Amino acid sequence: MKTFLALVAGAAMALAANGASAQTLKTVKDRGTLNCGVSRGLVGFSAPDAKGVWSGFDVDYCRAIAAAVLNDPNKVTFVPLSADDRFPALQKGQVDVLSRNSTWTVEREAKLGLLFTGINYYDGQGFLIPTSRNILSALEMDGSKVCVQSGTTAVGYTEDFFRTNNMKLELVTVPGTDEMVKAYEDGRCDTLTTDVSQLYALRLMMKKPTEHIVVPDVISKEPLGPAVRQGDDQWFNVVKWVHFGLLNADELGVTRAKVDAALTSKNPDVRRLVGTDSDYGEQLGLTRDFVARMVKAVGNYGEIYERNVGTGSKLAIPRGLNEIWSRGGIQYAPPYR
Amino acid sequence: MAFKFRTLVLTALLQVGALTVGSMAMAQQYTPVPPRGMGATMDIGDQPGREAPADDELTIDPAYRRQPVYFRTTEAPGTIIISTKDRFLYLVQGNNRALRYGIGVGRDGFTWQGLVSVVRKAEWPDWTPPAEMIQRQPYLPRFMAGGPGNPMGARALYLGGTVYRIHGTNQPETIGYAVSSGCFRLVNSEIIDLYSRVPVGTKVIVRQAVEI
Repeated sequence: MKTFLALVAGAAMALAANGASAQTLKTVKDRGTLNCGVSRGLVGFSAPDAKGVWSGFDVDYCRAIAAAVLNDPNKVTFVPLSADDRFPALQKGQVDVLSRNSTWTVEREAKLGLLFTGINYYDGQGFLIPTSRNILSALEMDGSKVCVQSGTTAVGYTEDFFRTNNMKLELVTVPGTDEMVKAYEDGRCDTLTTDVSQLYALRLMMKKPTEHIVVPDVISKEPLGPAVRQGDDQWFNVVKWVHFGLLNADELGVTRAKVDAALTSKNPDVRRLVGTDSDYGEQLGLTRDFVARMVKAVGNYGEIYERNVGTGSKLAIPRGLNEIWSRGGIQYAPPYR
Repeated sequence: MAFKFRTLVLTALLQVGALTVGSMAMAQQYTPVPPRGMGATMDIGDQPGREAPADDELTIDPAYRRQPVYFRTTEAPGTIIISTKDRFLYLVQGNNRALRYGIGVGRDGFTWQGLVSVVRKAEWPDWTPPAEMIQRQPYLPRFMAGGPGNPMGARALYLGGTVYRIHGTNQPETIGYAVSSGCFRLVNSEIIDLYSRVPVGTKVIVRQAVEI
């Protein structure tokens, strides 16, 4: 009998470890804090200040989930993870969610047992050039000397882009990002290429940041978003609708300043979203007003973007692909109805 | 070298911090700062007689300087789209891109949305403040000839059938904000650039923030 019980317990634990019967939502509520995996320090996305307070785009997603689940954006235990450690940490249950500038690829879902909950940042490879060149498009870069970091996927993407567009390319490969900036500033190349978010960070390292711009073209796909373990549909849904809730709030004009007014709005879409006329929040395992509570805590998607990486930050990255679909970008959430 | 050393120190701090930061973060309150672009206002009256520097685009926040951006739209190249909510003016270039200019939006700029067109262009426009503006700011002149001290700035694009105009400014620090008077203002060096790209007849679409 004892052996049988032990067997059952063992099987249950194995299942829990696989996530098949995982109840992450209940675990987080019982624990009273969200374990959120973040980068160890990436300007604009996640970094602690001198007092140990974390901020950034990815960090605000952790806080939004905490506001939705625990009604408090401060009930987050931030777990800084290296690139190598991030997926094992999620697989082993050390974190409930990974919000760490990670690219959504098939390998990570098919092989690593993860589920990406959405794309909260469309990144991709771009080009930085001197403002004085007055270039509007990457197609005007025929014959350019291009600085690229050796051993990165950027090398292949650059070669493909120049070849398919019948442009002459002179690659200047350098070992690291510091060397890349130096080579560019010394005039060894006409343009510098890596992911767009990183181009803006590198621009801050330059002697005169405002004399360089990033051309609007994005030539590769680096869709970033939060990830959870497979096998817990309820938790997957929660993290997914946190993202969609923040996007819908942005689209409908529900901001931190207007969230209280939104509760008594006349717009049926707004009334549903903030829970005045809907109980979808409760059906997800949260409260009916969880979107309103997230927006009150950290703002809507656009406010999170602008504060951390956009007009409110030193990075000053234009919304670009990450603008709402009806305003010039491709961010699009299913309706909250 | 200095940069590398700092990186090393930072990494070391973060590794030590990894063990302790989590619990510390619980104790610290987090207060999001409102981003400037969304809803920020500047309480400033007109300053006739003041002159902006010639390189006034260099005095504004880099985020609000003219730059090419990704912009997906079905509007034809050459169309101007003004988004008052985030204080940007887009000149559509086609192929999913636009030239984006930072603007300041005056109270008249928030009153209407829809489609208008440029019916007149003027260099160094004269200025006749309307009666309600005189009431709010009694110190204003009744008429002011165009020039560097004129709040209308270096150029103006007049939008048909409305009080709307896109103009320059002698107050470059107001770019990125909602301000007390006027419509859509750009720094002089950028309105001069826009003026040279935009003919009479250009379509202008004004988009306001969504009503709650």
